[in-house]
Amino acid sequence: MKYIFLLLILSHTSVNAQKNPGPRYAAMGSAGTALQGIWSMQLNPSGITAIEKPEMALAYERHFLDQDISSQTALFTFPYSGNVFGFNVERYGFTEYMELHAGIAYARKLGRSLSLAIGFKYHQLSIAGYGSASAFSAEAGFQFSVNEKLILASHVANPGRSRYEVLSGSNIPVKLSLGAAYRFSNKVAAACDLIKILNFPTDIRLGLEYSLIQHFSLRGGISANPFKQYAGFGFNYNRLSVDAAVSFHPALGYSPQIGLGYEF
Amino acid sequence: MNFKCVYSILALVVAIHNFGIAQPAIDPVIEQVIESIAENLTEENDYSEITERLNFYSKNRININTATIDTLQELLFISPLQINNLLSHREESGLFVDLLEIQGIRGFDTETVRRLSHFITIEPPNLLTDLTPKNLAAKGNHDLMIRFGKVVEKQDGFRSSDVNAPAYAGSGMRVFTRYRYNYVNRLAISLNMEKDAGEALFQSPGRGFDFYSANVFLKGNRLLKKLVLGDYALQFGQALTMWSGLGFGKGAVLTSLAKPNIGLRPYSSANEASFLRGISATLEHNRFSLTPFISCKNVDATKSDSGEEINSLSFSGLHRTSTERENKGAASQWVYGLNSRYQRKPWSMGLTAYRTQFSLPFASGKTLYEKYEFSGNSLVNLGADYNYSYKNAYYFGEFAHSFRSGSALINGLILSLSNQVSIAMLYRGYARNYHSFFNQGISESTGAVNEKGFYSGLTVKFSSKFELITYADFFRFPWLKFRVDAPSKGYELFAQLSYNMNKMFKVTTRFKHQLKAENAEPEINRGIDEVEKQNLRIELSYKLTASLSIRNRAEVSAYRKGMASAEYGFLSYQDIIYDPLSSRISGNLRFAIFDTAGFNSRIYAYENDVLYGYSIPAYQGRGIRCYANARYTFQRGFDIWLRYALLSYSGQQTVGSGHDMIQGNKRSDFKIQLRFQF
Repeated sequence: MKYIFLLLILSHTSVNAQKNPGPRYAAMGSAGTALQGIWSMQLNPSGITAIEKPEMALAYERHFLDQDISSQTALFTFPYSGNVFGFNVERYGFTEYMELHAGIAYARKLGRSLSLAIGFKYHQLSIAGYGSASAFSAEAGFQFSVNEKLILASHVANPGRSRYEVLSGSNIPVKLSLGAAYRFSNKVAAACDLIKILNFPTDIRLGLEYSLIQHFSLRGGISANPFKQYAGFGFNYNRLSVDAAVSFHPALGYSPQIGLGYEF
Repeated sequence: MNFKCVYSILALVVAIHNFGIAQPAIDPVIEQVIESIAENLTEENDYSEITERLNFYSKNRININTATIDTLQELLFISPLQINNLLSHREESGLFVDLLEIQGIRGFDTETVRRLSHFITIEPPNLLTDLTPKNLAAKGNHDLMIRFGKVVEKQDGFRSSDVNAPAYAGSGMRVFTRYRYNYVNRLAISLNMEKDAGEALFQSPGRGFDFYSANVFLKGNRLLKKLVLGDYALQFGQALTMWSGLGFGKGAVLTSLAKPNIGLRPYSSANEASFLRGISATLEHNRFSLTPFISCKNVDATKSDSGEEINSLSFSGLHRTSTERENKGAASQWVYGLNSRYQRKPWSMGLTAYRTQFSLPFASGKTLYEKYEFSGNSLVNLGADYNYSYKNAYYFGEFAHSFRSGSALINGLILSLSNQVSIAMLYRGYARNYHSFFNQGISESTGAVNEKGFYSGLTVKFSSKFELITYADFFRFPWLKFRVDAPSKGYELFAQLSYNMNKMFKVTTRFKHQLKAENAEPEINRGIDEVEKQNLRIELSYKLTASLSIRNRAEVSAYRKGMASAEYGFLSYQDIIYDPLSSRISGNLRFAIFDTAGFNSRIYAYENDVLYGYSIPAYQGRGIRCYANARYTFQRGFDIWLRYALLSYSGQQTVGSGHDMIQGNKRSDFKIQLRFQF
C-alpha cells in the first residue's frame, strides 16, 4: 500500500517539491506570490522586503494525516541597510523518500513601490534503494505596489530548467506565478495567484485573511487545479506568532501544519 | 441502440417539452431579481410564483415602518444580515422618514436600495382597515388572466392512424386561467386552472380543466396572523424537514444559501405537485408562533403490477396519455403536523413535526442504489432549526430526523467582513436513509439525502462598478446514486465578474467548472468515470436610448467523460428590448444560434416570455432559436401579450421524440395572454 502511495506522491511531488508555503500562506490557498512577510521566502522572496527586523520561522506539516510523510521548514531573514537577506531549509518526505532544499535569497526595494529578489537553491533527493541526486536552481521575483491597497507580483522558479542528473523521474519544477494581493481594510485582505508549472495544468488560487480581533486572524482559501480547500488561523502577540493551517484534497485527505515565528 | 442514444433522446424530449412552457416580468427590476436568482436553477422550476410575489409587492408596497422579518424575506434579494440591520436600525433610531436613511445602514449598497425602493413605501404605521362587505367590494381589486398557447406543428401524439386513436386525449392547446382578488393585504383569493397540451378539456375522460388550485388567504394582526384555506405552501427553516413550493440552491447570489423562513403562504404556482391542500393557520402570541397544518390530496403515482404498492411518484403534472391518466391521483396523501417558532432578536428557533401518510405503501427499492429509499406508507418527520445574528455574522442551520431512519444536518454562516467583502460557508451532512417528501435542502443532487458537502463562497465589491462572486463546493455521496454505481465525490467551482460602467452599460463574465462521477460507458469499462463540465459565458447589456436596450451573450461549454475526448457546445444570442416608459406597446426579440455536439454539452439560457410565463430551456443540437414578445395596453388594467417562438434545427429530420415528435426540422409555438385588472 505504501508503495502505491509513494507512486502517487512521486507524481504529485514534482508539483509540490518546491516547498511548503508556510501556515499563513497555505491557509490562504497557497496564494502568496503578492503577500509580504517572512514566508514569502517560499513563494516569492521579494515579499521579504517588508520586514524591518531579523525574523525566524519554523513550520511542520504532516501530509495526508495517516501517512508518515511530513515536511519541516526553517526560515531566517534579516535586513541590512536597505537589503534583505533570507535563508531557508526544508526537508520533505519519509524514510524511504527524502527531499532536501536549502536556499538563499537577496531582496531589495527599488524606490517606494517596487521590490526585487533573486535566489539560489540547492536540492537533494534520496530514495532508498535508488541512491541520491542533487541539483542547483535559481529563482527571481518582484512585487509592485500599485497603490496602498493593491500589490501585483510575479515569480519565476528554475527558469534554467535544472534537473537531477540521476533519478530523472523526479524533477525540479519550472514555474511561473502571477499574483495579486488586495487589502480591503485593515481587517480584510485577499490574494489571488495564477500558477503555471511546466507540464502541469494551470492552477488558480484564492485566499482571504480576516482579522477577527486584534492579534487573531482567520484565513481560508481554495485552489482549482488540483482542487483543494484550505483554512487556518494565526495568533500573534508582541514578537511571537503562531499559525496553523489545514489543506484538504478530495482524494488524499487532510494535511495539517503548524508554524512558529519570532521577531528579534 | 446504445444507452447514450436513449439518454440523448430522453433528454431531448425533456428539453423540447420545456420550450413549450414559457417570461419576463416586463418590469426590469423584477426581471433582474428573478434572473439573478433563477440563473442557476434548472428548467423544471416554476418562477411565476416569485414574479407574482414581486409584482404584488411592487403594487402593494411594503410599509418599511411596519414590515416584519417574514415580509422582508419574501423579497429574496435582501440578505438576512441586511434585514437584521434594517430592523435593528428601526428599533434604535425610530421610524424611517426617508429612503436615504436605508442607504446609511450597514450592509446596504446603492443597488440593493434601488431595488428595494421598488417594493417599499415609507409611511407612518396605520391601523388595518376593517373587513366589512362594503370595504371588500370598494377597495378590493381583481386580476383575471387567461393564456392560450400551442405548438404550431403537429406532434405525433395528436395523430391518429386507421387502427389507433391519437395517443393524447385532448387538443394541443394549452390553456391557463388565473384569478386573484386582493384586499389591501388582508384578504386574498386565488384561483388557477390549467390544461397542458394534450390534456382533455370538458370531455368525458376529464372534468373541465386538468388542474385546479385555489385558496383563500386571510392576514390578521392579533392572535391569528395568517390563515389559508385551500392550497398552501409551507417553508420552514433550512428546508430539510418541510419546504413546499419553489426553493433555491447554490447560485450566483450567495445570500440565497440561507433560506428565508417564510412559514405559511398561499400557493399560487401552476406547478401541479409542490403544494399542500387543506387548511393551515399561523397563530402568534408575543414571541411564540404556532402553525398547525393539515392536508389531503391525491398524488400521481405509478403502481406496481399488483396495484397494491407505489413504485414512484410523478411530479410532471402531465395527464395526456392513457398511462398518465391512469396514474393521475392514483394514491392519496395525508399530511398533518405543527410548526412552532420562538423569535427573540437576534435569535429565532423553530420546531417542526409532521406525519405523511399514503393510501398505499411504497415498494422497497429494487435496485441497489435505491436500497435506502423510503418504503412503507407512513413517515414521521421532526426538525429543529435556528438562526442567529451577531454583529456582522448570520448563523443558520437545521437538524432533521425521519423516524426509524436517518438524519440530516445543515449549518451555515454568512459573514460580512467589511463593506466590500462577504463570505458564506455551509456544511451539510445528509444520511443515505434520511426521508422527507418535502425536503429541498441545499444539495448538489436533488433533495437532501445521501450527501456530505462543504461550500465556501466569497463576494467582493471592489468598487461600485466591479463585483466578483466566487464559490467552491466540495461534495461526497456516501451511497450509490442513479447512474453512479459506487460511492462518489466531486466539486464545483464558480466565478463571476461583473462590471457596471454606468446605468447604460454592463458586462458580466462567468465561469463554472464541475467534476462529478458517473458510470462509465458499458463498452469501455465497468467502473465509474469522472465527468467534467465547464462553462464560460460573457454577457453584455447596454441601453441605446431610454427605451431601447440590447443584450448579447456568448457561451461555450465543454463536457468530458473519462478518457473520451471532450464534447463542445456554443451559444450566442442577440436580444433587443423595447420598453418605453409611457407607451402602450413594449416588447423584445431574440435571435440565437446554437451548436452543441449533443445533450451533454447543452447550454441553458433564460428566455423572456409573457408576464408570469417563464422558461430556461436547454439549447442543444445545431440550429437557430428566435422569439418575439409584445405587450399592448388597451387601457389601464387591460393588457394583451403575444409571443411567437421558433426553433429551427439544421440537419435533423424530426424534432423531439416519443409522442412529442414533429416530422420536419422546425418547432414553433405561439401564446396569447389577456389580463384584466379592475
